[in-house]
Amino acid sequence: MQRTTNLATGNLQPIILVWCRIVPPTCETAIVLLRTDQLTKCYGSFKALDALTFEVAPGEVVGLLGPNGSGKTTALRLILGFLKPTSGTAQIDGHDCWRDSVAARRKVAYLPAELRLYENMNGRQLIRFLSDLRGEPVNGEIETLARRFDIDIDRPIANLSSGMKRKVALLQVLAPHAPLVIMDEPTNALDPTMRELLLDQVETARSRGQAVLFSSHVLTEVERVCDRVMILQCGKLVHLQRVAELQAGRLVTARFAGVVLDPPALSGLHVRERHGDRLVLEFTGELPQLLDWLSRQPLTELRLEPLGLNAIYYRYHGNPE
Amino acid sequence: MTWTLWRKLLRDLRLTLIAVALLLGLFQMLWAKVTERMLGKLNPLVASLADMGGLTTKDIEERLFEGPGKVVRTIMGGERVQLDRAIDVLSIGYVHPLMQMIFCIWAVGRAAGAIAGEIDRGTMELLLAQPLARWRLILSHFLLDLFTIPILCFSLWAGNWVGAWLISPIQPEENVLPLPVAKQGYLVELGPLRIRVDDPIHRKPRGEVSAEQQAWQRERLAVEPARLGPALVLVGGLIFAVCGLTLALSARGRSRWRVLGLATFVVLIMFLLNLLGQMWDEAAWLRPFTIFYYYQPQQVILSGDWLVSLMPGDPASSSMRVPMPLVLYGVGTIGYLIALVTLVHRDLPAPL
Repeated sequence: MQRTTNLATGNLQPIILVWCRIVPPTCETAIVLLRTDQLTKCYGSFKALDALTFEVAPGEVVGLLGPNGSGKTTALRLILGFLKPTSGTAQIDGHDCWRDSVAARRKVAYLPAELRLYENMNGRQLIRFLSDLRGEPVNGEIETLARRFDIDIDRPIANLSSGMKRKVALLQVLAPHAPLVIMDEPTNALDPTMRELLLDQVETARSRGQAVLFSSHVLTEVERVCDRVMILQCGKLVHLQRVAELQAGRLVTARFAGVVLDPPALSGLHVRERHGDRLVLEFTGELPQLLDWLSRQPLTELRLEPLGLNAIYYRYHGNPE
Repeated sequence: MTWTLWRKLLRDLRLTLIAVALLLGLFQMLWAKVTERMLGKLNPLVASLADMGGLTTKDIEERLFEGPGKVVRTIMGGERVQLDRAIDVLSIGYVHPLMQMIFCIWAVGRAAGAIAGEIDRGTMELLLAQPLARWRLILSHFLLDLFTIPILCFSLWAGNWVGAWLISPIQPEENVLPLPVAKQGYLVELGPLRIRVDDPIHRKPRGEVSAEQQAWQRERLAVEPARLGPALVLVGGLIFAVCGLTLALSARGRSRWRVLGLATFVVLIMFLLNLLGQMWDEAAWLRPFTIFYYYQPQQVILSGDWLVSLMPGDPASSSMRVPMPLVLYGVGTIGYLIALVTLVHRDLPAPL
């Protein structure tokens, strides 16, 4: 549900707002392509991933965020059947990722973060080899993508730079049109032009109905292409939200003449900072309710900004500033 | 899918395979030349020396191979090998340490990289991100062994045939040490005295050679590479066994070099234990615990006996004899099965 409202109160400037109603952080369609249920991976007493539960629908792009060691890659490796879950399950299109791993991987194309290719092949040989392993012929899109990525796939891989190698790997991930594309930090080693091109390709994949699970450290690119974002902290899923909601949310900074009272218990309200006469709130709920409360406070200053992914991410992982 | 992988593995291995196959063949050719030299020149020389000293060639052999020389004798195949017979000397080419080293380097080098190598290079992720069952990876390596091991064996045998063609027939040198008449006595000068001392060593005039002796001579010098053929079953078995053992280690590892080091250590220990057991009777019981004990191609070539006793030190153990190929191929198969179970159940770690 979307509404546009003009607000003008006492000492506030008129602000134009667009907001959304918060929806449960799961995919809305009945069809689920990827489902994890309490997925857990322990190494001895160390929990690398703790009860991860989420779903991805076809045609959805989901971003996986978190600092190094937060469990992103472990989650992806469990989904790919590289690791055996300690408990819980992951399923792709109904196939268990560990017990029925081959059928599950038939639906997946994967781009690893640490890219290693067969150096004794050229790009074309590698793509043909991997297509043969998938049991699918090399499709004509390879040539089109190679031209678009500006890469000579007949050059030996050993002679390619790391960025060019990543382009070759991207070709073999994007060309098969797998229902689920998993990319672990895909823009590593790519120049800005290529990065944009890749994000365009992710959007094209979504428009084709492919789901993309996308891990990255670059918040802006996640915000640009993802429909939903998941934030992991020490192996736990601490935040799962639609990006549209984040974009509709507001960062509210207020200063009061006197003591700051406790804000009301509104849905979507999170107190980010409360220090002296200063109050910083993250708010994804219906703004009139908050503004109504604020207007009844001894307000001296009020600033409203788009919330964005930065604010959410640094809520969990600390602001470098 | 398996064949795609098999072709790729073979493509990666092709240059090494050609090099090793050539090396094995060339060594066997060289060994044929060594055989010709031994039987054509060294044996007549030893026989002449033995004649001069009133000894037999056996006496000289025993003197040569006593003490530290026993190591050499053991490495050459022990007591059963007669150094004056062409087929015996040719058979040494199958147990020569260099040959065994090449077999083991090939097997360890190939199998160590099979799983652990793919993991530490990071290419295992690339493979297993495709809809490829892990058992297919093991199967493709097994099929690769089925293809490459016969190539290596036939290359080795081809070396025997070419070598035999190059040296046949072996012509032993006559009158290796002709003694001049003047040397049949010595003139010793002691100051003003000049004393003539007769040489006590006189070459016995060779009599007529009987037909039986001629037949034995022909049999002794006959170069028959076909007789070496059955031993290739053991050569293949040894390579397969080392491959299987190494693959089992590789399926548990994540660093090719670590697996390479460990497998080399295990193989070397087994080789040395077997050698120790051969040289020292008290340690003979150790031999059946090493795969090298079941690699006795000379026994197959010279006596057609495929069985070995599980209690080598005990003369009354004739009932506990096992076929050597069964043990070698059995060890290889068990290695492959361990590798299969390990790989199917293990976590795939991130590349180093």
